[in-house]
Amino acid sequence: MSAAKPGKTQLAIGKRTLQVTNLDKVLWPRDGYTKGDLIAYYRAVAKWLLPHVKGRPLTLERYPNGIDEAGWWEKHIPRGLPDWIPTVKTAASTRHEQIEFMIANDEATLAYVANLAAVVLHVWYSREPTLDVPDFILIDLDPHEGCTLATLARVALAARNELAAVGITPLVKTTGGSGLHVVVPLEPHYDWDMAKGFAELIARRIHDVAPEQTTLDRTIARRAKGTVYLDYVQVGKGKTYVAPFSVRPRDGAPVSMPIPWSEVEAMSRKRTKTTAPEMTRWNIGNVPKLLAKDGDCWSEGWTPYRLEPVIAAARSHWS
Amino acid sequence: MAHAIWSGAINFGLVTIPVKLFTAVRTNDLRFNFLHKKDDGRIFNERHCTVCGEKVEYADLVRGYEYEKGHYVTLGDDDFKSVLPEATQSVEILEFVELDQINPMYFDTPYYLEPEKKGRHAYALLRESLREANKVGIARVVIRSREHLAALKPNGEALVLELMHFADELVEQSDFDFPELKEKVAPAELKVAKLLIDTMSVETFEPEKFTDDYREAVMAMIDSRVAGEQIATPEAKRPAATNVVNLMDVLQRSLEQSKRGGVASRPKASAKPAAKKSASAAKPKRKKSAA
Repeated sequence: MSAAKPGKTQLAIGKRTLQVTNLDKVLWPRDGYTKGDLIAYYRAVAKWLLPHVKGRPLTLERYPNGIDEAGWWEKHIPRGLPDWIPTVKTAASTRHEQIEFMIANDEATLAYVANLAAVVLHVWYSREPTLDVPDFILIDLDPHEGCTLATLARVALAARNELAAVGITPLVKTTGGSGLHVVVPLEPHYDWDMAKGFAELIARRIHDVAPEQTTLDRTIARRAKGTVYLDYVQVGKGKTYVAPFSVRPRDGAPVSMPIPWSEVEAMSRKRTKTTAPEMTRWNIGNVPKLLAKDGDCWSEGWTPYRLEPVIAAARSHWS
Repeated sequence: MAHAIWSGAINFGLVTIPVKLFTAVRTNDLRFNFLHKKDDGRIFNERHCTVCGEKVEYADLVRGYEYEKGHYVTLGDDDFKSVLPEATQSVEILEFVELDQINPMYFDTPYYLEPEKKGRHAYALLRESLREANKVGIARVVIRSREHLAALKPNGEALVLELMHFADELVEQSDFDFPELKEKVAPAELKVAKLLIDTMSVETFEPEKFTDDYREAVMAMIDSRVAGEQIATPEAKRPAATNVVNLMDVLQRSLEQSKRGGVASRPKASAKPAAKKSASAAKPKRKKSAA
């Protein structure tokens, strides 16, 4: 950002003008990245990020005082939301009261939320106008203490192999933290319980073929050292996942990056003791450049699946 | 992202370009530890003195240079420090020269120089001017407290700093018995040899084609030992646990029931496996996103 003076700057993005402030505020103290860098990042990746968040209720994870200070989650629309940003009023779960969520459909909105120091963008599993029907499911591969990068990658590859046996080519991204997300796009045709059941089925199948390397135990203390926790319970109404290309509030400003399976294969050959350093390879500094060069590897792989043939195939291949 | 070796600057004339120095070569060497065959214990080395026979601690070591058989001058840490090059953290360009003027044998190890934010423009300018002039900068640089001669070359988007050998490090060709350049070769022989070269020629050099087969074979062996066959291959079928079978039945039934159209729904049936039930009973109160 060239307008480096603290205070206020006007940004003109498309037909919108918005005011951004405190561009020099350092959000990543050990890396020196500022709020100006965060705004510039989200604008630079907008073209690739927007298809993944369009129409989806958005929850912001904000760190206005930098990542060392406590951040907070904002589901309700931020105060003073510009009137050109669309919102949707919906129940945040099957039980809860109605909440008005904002939706990010354009670059100007991304600049707006980045200016709120919204480091992380969390979005729903469904999008307008069919908020009650998920259009993908996700298995969160969460490395437990002592889990090596190779183990994590091998479990992901086992998931890919098992899904391939039932006709699915899943997608994979880094979480930007220490794990991986394995994603299966669905035709928007199944309700939350069906989607959840399918996610559980996949997780249980992975656990069956890799019982030593994985755990389904939700109690952290009971997970065996060095295993990968297969979290399938995150799918549901009002549940969110970290959007592709979202930044994380960690040192190195890592990004949740969609990656080709060849990257996971390469990870499975590395002998890194922990997984987090590998994930920092994709960060606020290099992701815009990587995208400009190679594009989003998910854009072609996002094929929605119908569950009927998949379940039928699973009955012959997984029993 | 790798850690920078240092943050410093490229200097020439009055120009200063702030940069970070990164290694550009990954060492893929296989590294092993020695273990005791019978119990896998790690082996450590102890240093013993050949005069008194005592065990010697690292702190009690000095370096000896054998200037004559059995005679040493000794140098301690302070001695080395006194001649250490100033840790300048800069690439000091001394002169520019056309790349063809340098025998490629002088080049040793490449490093990347990445510009700091405020040096990006000057960096791009230097890179483009070097490219247009087809020249490289000859520089002095200190890396890990040793001074090196290096060439600064434009390479794609990067400026690459390639460490060079000093002249006295290269072994003279005259030390060997090579055939002279004017050695006679018959034109017919030359023609046949050139034909052979032609048939084995490729348009472009693709370094990715060549791999370290030995290393990969050893790594594959190690990987399979580590994995201990526990990860299934697509071929290796394992019987599914009963709850997978139950779950598939439930999903299949609900898909069939909803065939008439609309949104397919999984009934909240009691057919769920017991394990799942207790798990979902413990609904998380935490606000957690899949992360």
